[in-house]
Amino acid sequence: MKINVSLAIKALTGFIREETRKAGFHQVILGLSGGLDSTVCAYLAVMALKPEKVLTLIMPYGDLDKEGVSQARMVAGLLKVKSREIDISPQIDTYFAAYPTDNPVLKGNKMARERMSILYDFSAREKALILGTSNKTELLIGYGTIHGDMACGINPMGDLYKTQVRELGRQLKIPEEILAKKPTAGLWPGQTDEGEIGLTYEELDRILYLLVDRRRKPEEIIKAGFERKKVWRIVEMIKKSEFKRKMPPVAKISARTVGHDFLYPYDWDK
Amino acid sequence: MKIALAQISPILGNAERNLKLHLDYIRKAVSRKADLIVFPELSLTGYNLKDLAVEIAINPRKSSVFKKLLEASRRIDLVFGFVEEATDDPGLVYNSAAYLSRGRILHIHRKVFLPTSGMFEEGRFFAAGRQFRPFNTGRVKTGLLVCRDFLHYGSSYCHFAGGAGMIITISAAPGRGIDDPQAQGFETSRMWELMGESVSFFSSAVVVYNNRVGYEDGAVFAGGSFIYNPFGKLIARLPYLEEDFAVLEVELAEITRARKSWPFRRDERPEVIWQSLEKIIRDSHED
Repeated sequence: MKINVSLAIKALTGFIREETRKAGFHQVILGLSGGLDSTVCAYLAVMALKPEKVLTLIMPYGDLDKEGVSQARMVAGLLKVKSREIDISPQIDTYFAAYPTDNPVLKGNKMARERMSILYDFSAREKALILGTSNKTELLIGYGTIHGDMACGINPMGDLYKTQVRELGRQLKIPEEILAKKPTAGLWPGQTDEGEIGLTYEELDRILYLLVDRRRKPEEIIKAGFERKKVWRIVEMIKKSEFKRKMPPVAKISARTVGHDFLYPYDWDK
Repeated sequence: MKIALAQISPILGNAERNLKLHLDYIRKAVSRKADLIVFPELSLTGYNLKDLAVEIAINPRKSSVFKKLLEASRRIDLVFGFVEEATDDPGLVYNSAAYLSRGRILHIHRKVFLPTSGMFEEGRFFAAGRQFRPFNTGRVKTGLLVCRDFLHYGSSYCHFAGGAGMIITISAAPGRGIDDPQAQGFETSRMWELMGESVSFFSSAVVVYNNRVGYEDGAVFAGGSFIYNPFGKLIARLPYLEEDFAVLEVELAEITRARKSWPFRRDERPEVIWQSLEKIIRDSHED
C-alpha cells in the first residue's frame, strides 16, 4: 500500500497543468470542505498552477459543519487562493419544505448536487476547470453522489486510496488537524465515513488493494486473514456501484452508436 | 555517431501541428550536428486515437507530411511514428515506424505486437505487422521496433539474427505502478530498462529507446528514454515525465569490440532456433 509519494505528486501536478491547458482553461475551481481530499487536491492544484489560478468555493449547509468551514478557510488562507463562501441552506430548505423527508441520505445527495450545480455555474462564470476530489476508495465502493460530488472536469486523485491520499497530505504538509480528523461526508452532525461504511479506511483500503490492484479472489483474501463478512460486503459494494463509474448505456440500434462504436479520445486535438 | 532523442508530447489527432513540432526538433538536432533524430511511437498523431486512427492514416508515398519529412531527411536521418494506410492492402491501417535518410524511405516497420488488454486496445483499431527485418542505413545495420514489440524478446532476436548492430524502439508507454517508494520511475519503467540492458548486452548492439511524455485521457506517459551501448552499459537516460531533448554520442566501433569480446553473434545458430521453433509450432497445434 506504500507509494512513491514524490513520483505521484509529480505525475498528478503535471496532469492538472496539462489537462487544464488542453481543456482550454487558465484556472481551476474546486469545492473545499475542510476535509482531507479537497485539501490535498487544493495543495496539488497550487503546486501545478499558481495560487491565483486556483479558485475555491466553501459551500456549507448553515452551521452543520462549523469545524469543516473554519478548516476550509484556513486552507484557503494558507494557500493564498481565491475563496468564496456560499451557504446552500436556503435552496435546500425550500426544497425539503415542499418535499419533506427524514432520510439523511436523500438530504446529503441533494446537498452534494446543489454544490455540484454551483461549481458548474462558477466554472462557466470564471472559466475555470472543475477539479474532482473523489479518491479510489470512494470510487470503488460508490461512496459518493452520482452527479454530485462525483461530477467534475478532471479527477487527479481517483487512482489513490484514502490512506494514500493521507500520505500525500503528509508530504505536502497540510495542516495536522486535517490529517488527524475523522473523515466525514458531513451528512449530519457527528457523522463519520467509517461509522457509516462500517469499516476503517485502513481495513477497507487493504482489502480493496488486494482485490483490485493485486487481482486476488475474495476467498484468497479471506484465507489471508481478513474477515469473511467484511470482504464480501466490499465485493457487493463494488458490484452495486458500477453504474456510478460509467456513462449510462445507450440502447444500440443503429450501425454506429455513441459509446459503443463511435469512439473518440477525450483529449482529441489537444 | 550522434543520436538525438526528442522525448516529446505530441498533439492527439493533429498531424499538421505535430509535423511542425517534428521540424522544430529536426532543426535543433541539425544545429547540434546529430546524424539521426528519433521521435516516439505515433509521434505524428498522438497515441490514443481510437476511431481517429483510420481517419488520420497516411500513405507514405502520397502524403504531403511525408514529403516534408523526406526533404528534412536530406540533412539528418529520421525515425518517427505514424498511422500507415496500407497501399498493398487497402482499408488496413498500421501503427508504423519509418526510417528516412537522404530523401528516401529506407524502411517502414509495422508494429507486430498490438497490446489489447487492460488499458490498451490497439487490436481494435490497427492491423498487425507480420515481420521484423533489419536494414542498412549506410552507417550500421538497424532494426526498428514499436513499443510492445520490444517486450517480446523474439523481436530483438530477429534483428540480432539478421545482423543488426543497432535496435531502435519508439514507444508510447504509460507509467504504471508506484508501489516502490525508493524507485525513481514507475514499476513499468524498470521493465523497459531491464530489456534495454539485456538486449544490448546479449546482442552486442546499440539499443535506442525513445518513450513519449505527456497525458492523454488520463494515461500518464512515462518518458525515461535511453540508449545502451553494445556492452550493456547505459549511455544516458532522459528524465521521467518531462519533455526533453538530448544529443548523445554513440561509438559504433563498440559493436565490433563487443562482438570480439563476447562472441554471441559469431556463435549464434539461427537455423537451430528456426528448426526448433518449426517443430514446436507443428507439435503445438490444437486438434
